[in-house]
Amino acid sequence: MIAAKNTSYLARVKPGWKFGTLLVLSIGLYLISSWQVLLPLFILSAILLLSARVDLKQLRMPLFSLAMILGIVFILLALQTDWANAVVSVLRLLTMCLMAYAVSLTTSFDAMLELFQQVASPLRFLGANPAQIALGLSMTIRFIPELKKVYLEVREAQHARGLGNNPLAVSVPLVIRSLKIADETAEALDARGYDSAPYRR
Amino acid sequence: MELPPIRFENVTVRFEERDVLKDVRLTLNEQRIGIIGANGAGKSTLSRLINGLVLPTEGSVHVGDLNTRNHAKQIRRDVGFVFQNPANQIIMPLVSEDIAFGLKNLQIPKAERQLRVHETLAELNISHLADRESHTLSGGEQQMVALASVLAMRPRTIVFDEPTTMLDLRNRLAFQREIAKLAQRAIVVTHDLEILEDFDRVLVVTDGAIAFDGRPEEAIAHYRQWSHA
Repeated sequence: MIAAKNTSYLARVKPGWKFGTLLVLSIGLYLISSWQVLLPLFILSAILLLSARVDLKQLRMPLFSLAMILGIVFILLALQTDWANAVVSVLRLLTMCLMAYAVSLTTSFDAMLELFQQVASPLRFLGANPAQIALGLSMTIRFIPELKKVYLEVREAQHARGLGNNPLAVSVPLVIRSLKIADETAEALDARGYDSAPYRR
Repeated sequence: MELPPIRFENVTVRFEERDVLKDVRLTLNEQRIGIIGANGAGKSTLSRLINGLVLPTEGSVHVGDLNTRNHAKQIRRDVGFVFQNPANQIIMPLVSEDIAFGLKNLQIPKAERQLRVHETLAELNISHLADRESHTLSGGEQQMVALASVLAMRPRTIVFDEPTTMLDLRNRLAFQREIAKLAQRAIVVTHDLEILEDFDRVLVVTDGAIAFDGRPEEAIAHYRQWSHA
């Protein structure tokens, strides 16, 4: 899920502050074991998310998935420990997720990558190039839907040829087409002036 | 806009013992240049030589005073490339970020980047796509975004490798109009002969050689004749 353009007050806060606060609050939530304290915090996180003017339609599916997962967690914890403990754990996770949605949906992808590069900059001393890692991350997010599209096309073609769900019949063309995409994308990176030279210490 | 000449000096390109291009000698000075020919004739290789995506096995290619062998990075600042399949050319998950990607590589400051992204999108009438996720774009929209990402870098020459192959008629005509409007030099590799009608010069590539070089109507007639032979 990538942040659409957001103009709320939260979007104007520097990404470093937002993610730093999220980290501290998330750790802090684990120190609280009373549902009476966690419930107001959960309500506050919901208000934070709503006040950040995020696109609620964009959140419908993730929230539904989250509710399903937390429902299972709640039942399992309640059966293994007790109901109070299950309520505390689920409230904690819900609060954390709502805060995370508020932060990530008010931060542009570009700003997140910049932050990642700053945080990962000590890796330079190990010979790694944070900019390359960040580009790799963004390209992974970019190309997952493309690869899914290729997978569906290949599967459809194999079905049309009567090959059914044969994994080999799908995986071989999928790998070949993925390599072709990788080749063309590498060429596009070169054409757009990307310097792929490794980081030199 | 002053356009640097592009010179091919005795260029041969060999892939796995096969001569894809043989002893090509050319100087390109015109603003609108078309390249046509059969599949596998060497058109795409010829176009990729211009910004150093492919280097000659023998001979040299120069853009202005720069040799692609030694100055590919510098040349790519001045020669943009729009690929046949725009989906593989769009690198970033969001449209506006993808257009800014090339500018970042040119180390253009953030404020200037944002301005150029905004201007380029407006120029192509696709401002509404700025915040769209790249994978949700249609083929026509993807091709416009690919063009925008190149235009934002403000090259003086843009090479198009079969840019309309994956487009429907409506998008093809829209893209054709955008190419016609460009102030830059456009070098277009295509099977779409209608695009070339107003061009200054068309090269017909056959079996790795320039079989014809001249005005569009003559070049197209030559190509049709060759295709029927």
